[in-house]
Amino acid sequence: MRRRMKRIGFWLLLLAYGLASYWVFTRSSPLLKERPVTIWFAHWQIERGPPDGIAAVIKRYEELNPRVKVVQLLVPGATIYPQWMRANLAGGTGPDLMEWGAWVEGQKDIPARYFTPLTSELAQPNPYNRGTSQEKIPWQDTFHDKLLAPRRDSPDPGQIYGVNITETSLRLFCNVELLRKITGSVAAPKTYDDLRQILVKVREYVRRTGQPVMGLAGSRDTARAVAETVFSCPLLGVNQRMDDGGNLYLYNRQVLADYLEGRWRYSEPAVKAGLQLVREVTQAMKPGFIQLRRDDAMIEFLRGQAVFLFYGTWDATTLRRLASFKIAPMKLPSVTPDDPEVGRYIIGLGGEGQGETSLAMYLNKSSPHPQEAIDFLRFLTSVPGNQIFTDNSGWLPAVDGVVVPEEIRNFRNYQEGYSFGQAPYDAIGSEVTILWDKYFYKLVGDQGSADQFAAALDQAMPDAIRTDLQAELRTSLVLVKPQDAMIAGWAGLADGDPADRRARARQHELEAGQTMTEGLVLQMRRTLDLTAGNAGR
Amino acid sequence: MRRWAALLACVLWAGVCLAAAPADEITASWQLVADHLGRDAYVKLDQLAGPPTREQAFAQAVVAIDYQPVTQERLHEAEAVFEQLARGDDEIAAASAYLQARMYQIHYQQQDYAKAVELFRALAERQPRSHWAQLGLVKTGLLLLYALPEPAKPADRIAAAEALLPRIGEKKLWRDLQLQLGRAGTFYEQPLDTVLPHLLAADRVGGLVGQVNADLLASIGELSLRAGHYAQARAYFERYLKEDTYNMRQMTVRRRLEDLAVLEAKAREVKP
Repeated sequence: MRRRMKRIGFWLLLLAYGLASYWVFTRSSPLLKERPVTIWFAHWQIERGPPDGIAAVIKRYEELNPRVKVVQLLVPGATIYPQWMRANLAGGTGPDLMEWGAWVEGQKDIPARYFTPLTSELAQPNPYNRGTSQEKIPWQDTFHDKLLAPRRDSPDPGQIYGVNITETSLRLFCNVELLRKITGSVAAPKTYDDLRQILVKVREYVRRTGQPVMGLAGSRDTARAVAETVFSCPLLGVNQRMDDGGNLYLYNRQVLADYLEGRWRYSEPAVKAGLQLVREVTQAMKPGFIQLRRDDAMIEFLRGQAVFLFYGTWDATTLRRLASFKIAPMKLPSVTPDDPEVGRYIIGLGGEGQGETSLAMYLNKSSPHPQEAIDFLRFLTSVPGNQIFTDNSGWLPAVDGVVVPEEIRNFRNYQEGYSFGQAPYDAIGSEVTILWDKYFYKLVGDQGSADQFAAALDQAMPDAIRTDLQAELRTSLVLVKPQDAMIAGWAGLADGDPADRRARARQHELEAGQTMTEGLVLQMRRTLDLTAGNAGR
Repeated sequence: MRRWAALLACVLWAGVCLAAAPADEITASWQLVADHLGRDAYVKLDQLAGPPTREQAFAQAVVAIDYQPVTQERLHEAEAVFEQLARGDDEIAAASAYLQARMYQIHYQQQDYAKAVELFRALAERQPRSHWAQLGLVKTGLLLLYALPEPAKPADRIAAAEALLPRIGEKKLWRDLQLQLGRAGTFYEQPLDTVLPHLLAADRVGGLVGQVNADLLASIGELSLRAGHYAQARAYFERYLKEDTYNMRQMTVRRRLEDLAVLEAKAREVKP
C-alpha cells in the first residue's frame, strides 16, 4: 500500500513537472491575459509624493480603460535621466510619454527632434472633465496658468508640445523651533533686509554657542535656486534697457545677442549688485556646499543644522514626512528699491507670476500608441485625475477645479511683481552655466568677491556666449528643416480632400510658425556674423 | 448571361479597387509625412506598384529631404526630381519649384541664398497666384531683410522686402511678411513710426496664436507708448490684459498703464 502511494506520488510529481515544462516552453506570457496596449510613462520625480500620486491615477485609469496598461518608469534626474532619455530616443526605444524641461542642460533640441506637438488636441475640451467645472472648456485653458511654460519654451512658436501635471514654487522652508531659539521670534522675514538680519543673528548664535548651525542649508542645487532668485532682482532694469522690440520680456537668445553686441557685462554695476546678493546668501551656507547636492542640503536641514532650506515645493512632501520638527514654508522676500545695500539698482518688485505649472510630459513622436498616450494625459490632467494625483502626492494640482488640500494651500500665495526675462544671466545657455559653475569659487567664501567673479566671467564668457547662441540657432534649424516636408504633407492631404479644413489650417499654422522661427534664425546668424569682429548691426 | 454579367461586375470592381489603391496609399503617405514619420512614408511609397505618378514622385522627393540621416547626395537627388516636376504648370510644379529653392535656402549644408531667391522669383513670375509662389515671396522677404549682401543698409533692406507686399494676395502670408518687417525694424533700431504700421497691419489680419500673439500685442502697446501714441498704447495694453489673461507680463503691463496715465496727464497739461 505504502509503495503504491509512493508510486502515485512519483507519477503526480512527474506530471506536474511535465505540465510546468510545457507551460514554460510554449506559453511564456503571464497566466493572466495582458492588456493589448501598454503605455510607458517616464519621469524623474522620485521624491516622496509624485510616484504615489501617479500610481494612484494609473490604477483608476486602468479601471476605466481595460485595454490599456500604464507603466510608470522612475529614472533618477540629476545625472542619469538626460543621458537615458537621449539614448532611448535616438535608439527608437523611448517611452511613449516622457518628462522634459527647458532648463535641462544640453537637451534643448529634444522636443524639436523627438516630440510631437499637442496643439490641436489641447484646443478641444478634455472628455474626462465631463460633469466638472471644466466641462466644455478647451483642455489648454483648464490649466491654472494656461500652460505658460510649454508655450514659452516651445521650439516652434505658437505650438504647444507639453502638458503639465503639477504646479511648483520656491519657498523658504523654516525650522520654526530653531528660528525661535536663535532669534526669539517666529515671524517670517517681510523684507530682504529682514532676512539679512536673521542670517546675521544665526552667525552670532554660532559664535556664542559653538553649535553647528547655518542660516541656509547648503548644496550646489539649493545655492543655485536661491542665487537665481536674488540675482534676478537687479537684472529687471538691465533687461528693460535692452528691450528694443518692446516685448516687455527678453528671451535668452536676445540676452546672448546683447552680450555679444556689448550691451551688458557681468562687471557692470547692476549685474555686479546681483552677484553681491548671490555672495550674501551663499555666505549663509556651510563651507564646501558647492560639492554637495540637494539631498545633502535636505539632510542638513532635517538634522536641525540649518534654519532655512530654500528650494522647490516639490520637496515639501518629503520634508513633511521626514522632519521631526515643525516646518513653516515662507516666501523669500524680494529685494526692493529701498534695500540699504543694492536698492539703487532695483527698478521694482520682482514677481513670481501667478504660479507656473510644471512636471511637463511630452509625447514621443515614435510612440506606437499615440492616441492612448494622449488619452492617459487627458485623464491625468482632468479634474478627477489631477485630484487623485494631488491627494496622493501632496503636490499642487495643475488644473483648475481641483480642491487643494489645506496643508499646501499657501504654496499658491504668490508674490506679485515684474518679470522681465526668460532666465537670470547664469542660465541663459549651457556653456554659460558651465562657466558660471567653473568660476563660482571666485565669488564665494572668505577669498571670494563679486569683482573678481565678474572679471573672470567677462574674460571667459564671449566664446561661451557665442557657442550658446550658435546652439540656439542650430536647435531652431533642427525644427525648421523637417517642417518643409510636414507642410508638404498637410498640403497633400488638403489638396486630396478639399473638405479637410483641419489639414489646410495645420499647413498654414506650420507655415506661419516656420517663417517666425526662420526670422529669429536669421537674426541670430546676422548677430553672430556682425559681432565676429564686434561690429554693430 | 447573368453569370457573365456578374463576372464582368467583379472584374470592374477589382479594377476600380486597384485604381483607387495607389491614390489611397499616397494619401496615407501624406498623413505619415505630415506627422513627421518620413521613414514609414518612404516604405509605403516604395511598395507602390507601377510607374510613379507626378504626385508619387513628388511625395518621394519630399520624403527624401527629411529622411534621416540626411545626406547631401540624397538632397541632390531630391532636387533633381523637384527640378523636373517644376517644369509643369500645376500645383505640383509650383510646390516642386518652391522646394527646389528651399534646398538652397536651408537644406544644403552650404546655403546659397542668391540662388534660392533667383528660384523663388522665377516661380513668382511663372505662377504668381500659386500659394507656393506667394510663400516663396515671404521667404524672399526674409532673405532680403537679413541674409543677402545687398542692399546693405537696414532701411534699404526693409524697403526691398516691403516692395514684395503688393504681390502677396494671400492674407495670412501677407500678415507673416508684415510681422517680419516689423520685427526687422526693431532689430535694426529703425524709427518707431516706420515699424509700428507693419505690426499693426499684421494684427489687423489676426489669426496669430499663443506667445506670438502675446508678444505682438505687448510690442505694439510698448512701442506706441515710446512713440507717443498714447491712445493706441492704451488700447493694446488693455487688449493684452484682456486676451492674455495668464502671463508673467501682466504686472509689467499694468505698471506700464500707470506710467501711461502719467504721460497722458502731462500731455493734457501741455495742450492748452
